Amino acid sequence: MEIQTLSKARRLLLLYCSFFRITALVVGGGLAMLPVIEEIFVVKYKLLTREELLDMTALTQTVPGIIAINSAVYIGMKIGGVPGALAAAAGAVTPPFTVILIIASLFPRLDPKNRYLLGVFAGIRAAVTGMILVTGCRMFRRTVKTPLEIAVVLIFFVLAIMKVSPALLILAAVPFGWCYVWWQTRRLARAEQQAADGGKPAEKAVEPAAGPRENGGDAK
Amino acid sequence: MNHCLVLFFQFCKFSVLCFGGGYMLIPLLTAEFVDREQVLTMSEFGNLLSVAQVTPGPVGLNTATYVGYVNEGFFGSLAASLGLIAPTILIGCSAAAGINRWKETFLVKGMLKGTRLAAVALIMFAVTIFLGLSVFRTAIPWESLGALFRFERPVLPEGFSVSPAGILICGVTVVLMLKTKLPTTALLLGAAAAGALLSAWF
Repeated sequence: MEIQTLSKARRLLLLYCSFFRITALVVGGGLAMLPVIEEIFVVKYKLLTREELLDMTALTQTVPGIIAINSAVYIGMKIGGVPGALAAAAGAVTPPFTVILIIASLFPRLDPKNRYLLGVFAGIRAAVTGMILVTGCRMFRRTVKTPLEIAVVLIFFVLAIMKVSPALLILAAVPFGWCYVWWQTRRLARAEQQAADGGKPAEKAVEPAAGPRENGGDAK
Repeated sequence: MNHCLVLFFQFCKFSVLCFGGGYMLIPLLTAEFVDREQVLTMSEFGNLLSVAQVTPGPVGLNTATYVGYVNEGFFGSLAASLGLIAPTILIGCSAAAGINRWKETFLVKGMLKGTRLAAVALIMFAVTIFLGLSVFRTAIPWESLGALFRFERPVLPEGFSVSPAGILICGVTVVLMLKTKLPTTALLLGAAAAGALLSAWF
């Protein structure tokens, strides 16, 4: 409570130091930071309510950018306006920047010759593979729901393997998403219309439109 | 200096395209720095990401700092990190309040839907990149797999083999992640130790 009356400068310092601490201590970044953020800003300083933090979490995952910096910027913005966002981002960047800079200047080329060190790297790479796999599967389960969406993901995946630039794929996904959502809303509206008319189940009227993928693609 | 500016804008681009977390940077970074500019080899990139994953801090920022350093030294690191956060700050300061309100509008909804599907595909692609660095000893030979569709016998490239240690560690990590709540740090330390031990046998 008393923190609410803190001067602007103290607030910025608090933001800087908190995010410094968070990225200095939390391995893995992104969502792993969440419990620590909650402990500092919700429980200890009461600068955010739990609902605000939940909203923020949803938001940081929808806007582009890495999740850790997104959280810093949005929480900083909420607590201290634009200067707050800058202070929080600076705090979040400082520790990883320094640590990696030290490591990078010690080993400019990460190509160990020692057998055991090679083994250590191989072990971590294998673990990272597993982690990305689990993250990917969780994302798949959360996002991909209909057969059409599975097909779209597979097409994007094959295009990526065929060395189409990932940047291009993401950019192409935006107009596709617009067409898809437009088509979905229209289909829903038509189904409702059908249901309102009484008679047949909505499925029947929808069938022809559901056929070729181009309906959701760039035809319109 | 000029090259630092290039790095800055490259990372701005990655940041804007990075929907769905730090792992999304993997396909973007490998396409740019391994395939196109060839300042890194794929195995160096794998090691770099391992270091980024083990050291505290968000994986995306760690990777950016490291890639910047490999390219242009200290100022490269600075340019890459700043590039990664600059768009976030711009978007955050201008639109943070609005986004929750716009979430239901057609344009935002469609963009999120499309980019999320692409993100899932690209993370699956990142998995295949990393399979080629851990479970298999070379990158996955997609050309050889293509031969299967033409009903020919696939010709595997030189040095392509399966690493038993890689399969074991990857599998155990997946199981532990799904069945237990062990922190990432513990998993990574265990994997590092297991890797060192297994390298003595294989």
